[in-house]
Amino acid sequence: MKAPFSSYLNEIAPGLRQLINYLSSDYDYVSVLSTDSKGLHIRLSQHAKTVGNQTMTTERGTVVRVYKDGLYSEYAMDCFDHEHPEQAATDIKSVLNAQLEVLKLTQTDIYDTGLLSDEPIDLMVEKETGQLPEEADIPTLISQLTKLSDYGMSLSEAMVDCVVTAQSTHISKLFMTANRYMRQSYVYSEGSIAAIISKDGQNRIGHDSISGLGGPELFIGLNDKADYAVSSALEMLEADRIVPGVYDIITAPEVTGLIAHEAFGHGVEMDLFVKGRALGADYIDQRVGSPLVTMHEGALCADNVTSYAFDDEGILAGDVVEIDQGILKTGICDALSALRLGVSPTGNGKRENFEHKVYTRMTNTLFDSGNDTLEDMIKSIDYGYLLEGIQSGMEDPKHWGIQCIIQLGREIKDGKLTGKVVSPVIMTGYVPDLLGAVTMANTDHCVFGSGGCGKGHKEWAKVSDGGPYLKTKGRLG
Amino acid sequence: MERYIQAMQNSGADAWEIIDTKTQSWQFYFIGHALDQNRATDVEHITLKAYKQSADGQYMGEATAAVSPTESTENINQIARDLVDHASLVQNKVYALNQPSAASPIPHAATSLKQEAETYLKAMQSVQETVDEDINSYEVFVNLNKRRLITSTGIDHTDTYPTSMLDIIVNARRDNHEIELSRLYHAGTCQPLQLKEDIEELMRYGKDRLLASPTPSIDNCPVVFSTDAALQIYSYFLDNLNAAYKVRGISHFNIDEAITHEAHGDLLTLKTLRYLDGSPANFAYDIEGAPIEDATLIDHGIVKRFIGNRMFSQYLGLDQSFIVSNWCVEGGTATETSIRSGACLEVVEFSDFQVDSMTGDLFGEIRLAYYRDGKGGITPVTGGSISGSMLDNLNSMQMTQASRQYASAVIPKATRLNKLTVAGES
Repeated sequence: MKAPFSSYLNEIAPGLRQLINYLSSDYDYVSVLSTDSKGLHIRLSQHAKTVGNQTMTTERGTVVRVYKDGLYSEYAMDCFDHEHPEQAATDIKSVLNAQLEVLKLTQTDIYDTGLLSDEPIDLMVEKETGQLPEEADIPTLISQLTKLSDYGMSLSEAMVDCVVTAQSTHISKLFMTANRYMRQSYVYSEGSIAAIISKDGQNRIGHDSISGLGGPELFIGLNDKADYAVSSALEMLEADRIVPGVYDIITAPEVTGLIAHEAFGHGVEMDLFVKGRALGADYIDQRVGSPLVTMHEGALCADNVTSYAFDDEGILAGDVVEIDQGILKTGICDALSALRLGVSPTGNGKRENFEHKVYTRMTNTLFDSGNDTLEDMIKSIDYGYLLEGIQSGMEDPKHWGIQCIIQLGREIKDGKLTGKVVSPVIMTGYVPDLLGAVTMANTDHCVFGSGGCGKGHKEWAKVSDGGPYLKTKGRLG
Repeated sequence: MERYIQAMQNSGADAWEIIDTKTQSWQFYFIGHALDQNRATDVEHITLKAYKQSADGQYMGEATAAVSPTESTENINQIARDLVDHASLVQNKVYALNQPSAASPIPHAATSLKQEAETYLKAMQSVQETVDEDINSYEVFVNLNKRRLITSTGIDHTDTYPTSMLDIIVNARRDNHEIELSRLYHAGTCQPLQLKEDIEELMRYGKDRLLASPTPSIDNCPVVFSTDAALQIYSYFLDNLNAAYKVRGISHFNIDEAITHEAHGDLLTLKTLRYLDGSPANFAYDIEGAPIEDATLIDHGIVKRFIGNRMFSQYLGLDQSFIVSNWCVEGGTATETSIRSGACLEVVEFSDFQVDSMTGDLFGEIRLAYYRDGKGGITPVTGGSISGSMLDNLNSMQMTQASRQYASAVIPKATRLNKLTVAGES
């Protein structure tokens, strides 16, 4: 079925059009983004169970962007009265003028920016989905997920809790300017299992997840995840600490994805170029990885949690080749940063929600596959580790530093897995060194979208990332 | 509000609550000191919660819905009825909602968005920059919040309070080499003098990072934490005092028992605070309507009290409990000199320092640290990482007597963990 576009947004659209008309007499550019995204969230542990309609991206509200005298300003509200848009126009002008008074009092300079283009676009996209979160069979879902939590508990006497989380979001967004009328609707879903074990005063957590473009029908995929979540937690309980050093490593696809995200995801967000905060700006058309490294970024690269038709500034979704056979080709860009840099936007202008500012943000960030087999990759290593499972990552675009917290490492000795496990593993290093040492990639092309991404330490957004198994060298601690 | 109350009263719920939060925000985004964008928001978030008991009274289910203020009354009534249906599907051991109580109100200084914005902008303009150390960019957020909690048990309480945030990047450069450091500050109202002092300290760190050499590999090296990263260390204790952690079998703390045996370091005391000057979290009641108190949770290394939300607190049999807002840590005996004695690594800038409260694992990539060789030599170093476990460090943790406030927490100015691994770059 098609995910139906919000009837609420269709109802207020004429009022939003009038609002744009009212504001256009005072401003040189006016755009409106209105959202109405509904969700389903179920979280079941052995000790506390909840069900609700909020996910990371559920929202209903409107943000208005205006431009005058070189300055872009925004006003976000969630009580727009579509029958009296003139009142909203008056309120917006009043508040923004009050801010300008403060700026005048403090003698604040303006970062002068040009006028956004506004070529006509009329678009309606309703993507395919199996079910809608607002129409889900909640009794059946709760019953199935409760059984899954109980099954996880049954796998080990050391289990103290098995938390099953399932959430689905039906996104509807409307973008409007004097010349654009763009509407989109799609559904994405994600789920996870966290197995918590405790033994002799030591706790360990194993987890696994699913995500994809589609509705609650995807939750069935969680059934295959409990065994790994529990077994990995048990392995971590018996694991040793790694001896710090530089090792030959094979990164499992989820770790590969984390590297993609932290290395040349954040590192080429071009709003950082405007501020002189990213080393990538100086390395366009230069080698940053081995010839086996090709990386794509864009909402069109995969069908997952952030595969929209247009971004939060009304720019059509793209598929950008950031790194082509080891050569850095370009970054990703929101509309205002593109205007300032004199380049074309790539459809990567995203907000945490309507209340938040647009930044350049990632969508699907993926390494291309190679031609090797995992077996050959393991055979090629005298001593090293196969790294599995991710906890978190952090970038340093100014220095191309990277920090990846990895669940566990499986020891490889003389071309074979020994069965010995180390945990946790922190991988750090200089991104071009890490990518420059890539010598093998297998044929997998996995995509993971169950997490969230911050800009620095805030502005949380949905992203996905992934790729194949990669062989490289990494500093582990 | 009346239509939400009526919807919940008519829903068939055994108990219900409504949380209505209105926020007006002004935001200013700068590149250097030039305004990139100004923003304002005016939003209302309404959350409805329904509770439904099982027929035998043994269980109580809970369901939650966020409702838009533009939702029709008909839809609100339907959402309330659906909530009751959904709540009946999940079975949690029965517990009771909080009852009304008479906590004295916490006064907040009268302020306005305009006043707070002006104070922040002037504070930022007053920061002393040099040719080689300056501000790259910053974002200012000032908010006025009004939060009302209404429950079926008769609670109807409103908190009106300011919050603010500054996100800043600073640069330092030398010989065509430029680095950056960042901070995210939270506060109630703007604290301009503290802010200016912190940012100028950050720029000094930036200058030192330019001179830094690769971090050496040192096994079991004492590490000193003297910035906000140390909050993660103390959050480990706070989380393990949470009733939810205890009920779930994650916390191994026990009442009237020491948090570690054979302690030969400082004995930690951890308290909750009802009021903390400058905090963004000064509330008379928590979000569930429980009065917030000054309470001692750990006294000289002995666990005195668990704390948390009403559900897990009742499961644990706690008489009085609440969700912590402000807190402080005491018990340090070290001076700022003695805590840095001997060979040690003082890390002042991480990529992202983390302490996993469930496992006790800690880790972080080093962006700037000072390696003290114990003979008077101090070398700024960068790169590599630290890792280890809180469990291995509880016995010997050391803290300064002097303390420092970060938003809603007061912690020792410096903290020393003696059993960590430093994976260096050289």
